[in-house]
Amino acid sequence: MSETHTTLSLELKHLLIETLELEDIAPGDIDPDAPLFGEGLGLDSIDALELGLALQKRFGIKLDAEAEETRRHFANLNALQALVEARRAN
Amino acid sequence: MSFSIHLEDWRGWIAAEATPTPDPRHRISAQPGNDLPAMLRRRLDSAGRATCEILAALDPGSDFPLVHASRHGDTTRSLAMLEALQRGEPISPTHFSMSVHNALLGVHSIARQHHRPIQALGACGDEFDAILAEAKGYLVEGYQAVIAVFSECVLASAYHGCTEHPGIPCAVGLRLTLNTGQPLLSSDPAHPTHPTPLEVISWLNGDSPYLEGRRRWELGTT
Repeated sequence: MSETHTTLSLELKHLLIETLELEDIAPGDIDPDAPLFGEGLGLDSIDALELGLALQKRFGIKLDAEAEETRRHFANLNALQALVEARRAN
Repeated sequence: MSFSIHLEDWRGWIAAEATPTPDPRHRISAQPGNDLPAMLRRRLDSAGRATCEILAALDPGSDFPLVHASRHGDTTRSLAMLEALQRGEPISPTHFSMSVHNALLGVHSIARQHHRPIQALGACGDEFDAILAEAKGYLVEGYQAVIAVFSECVLASAYHGCTEHPGIPCAVGLRLTLNTGQPLLSSDPAHPTHPTPLEVISWLNGDSPYLEGRRRWELGTT
């Protein structure tokens, strides 16, 4: 795994924790393969909107809240990371 | 018309070390909220967590209607959203969803699987009289008890000096019934005031003989 890849993974974990106020979660608690929503980390629909806004602010990525592909991008941390690597504008 | 309502039990909470401290029999945790699921707790500030803990203490079986009053609500979040809009920035969906006045009872109802009526209100300083009036309505409808909580959270600094506020996060909750417990006796007030949760706690502690809001309230004997 490249250093850039690892750095981005950690950055995204911090983004999740800070943006979603996950006060009891440390970066090491977030399994990159585990679902972010429902089972797994346990995020909800408000978190999905908040995360979409954070991706727009931090990386310039605009997502369609209704699109099926958005659901896939938010499946787990690895999917989120692939999205950011492919579409980041800054 | 007489206004018969009784106080069966109560809980109070005041952030940090402040007077009046609630009587030990009626205190909750100093750092409330540990019984809430972490993913719900994160959305609440200290007064919100205290309110949920008071509701759980007074209504452990989620059996009764809940009335929650706050004069100001969460001004910190509301003001932050207004400032974001002024800058032309998008507002936080979380802050927006939690800024509605009934968000706190919504979180509680999810956490405790509470499916009875819930009601949130603000009354420009008349919150204490208002929660009693609302509770009375539910009781007359046939509910055995009603839990009424009055709380205030931190006031955004921009509003300091512009409105009445207890100056510290605080919450007080009452379990009210039609005829069990101590009767709450009302009479005409000498000087109608806008009591905050601090004055209510002080009165329930027995530190003051009566509480003046829109009415003068005194605790009778059982």
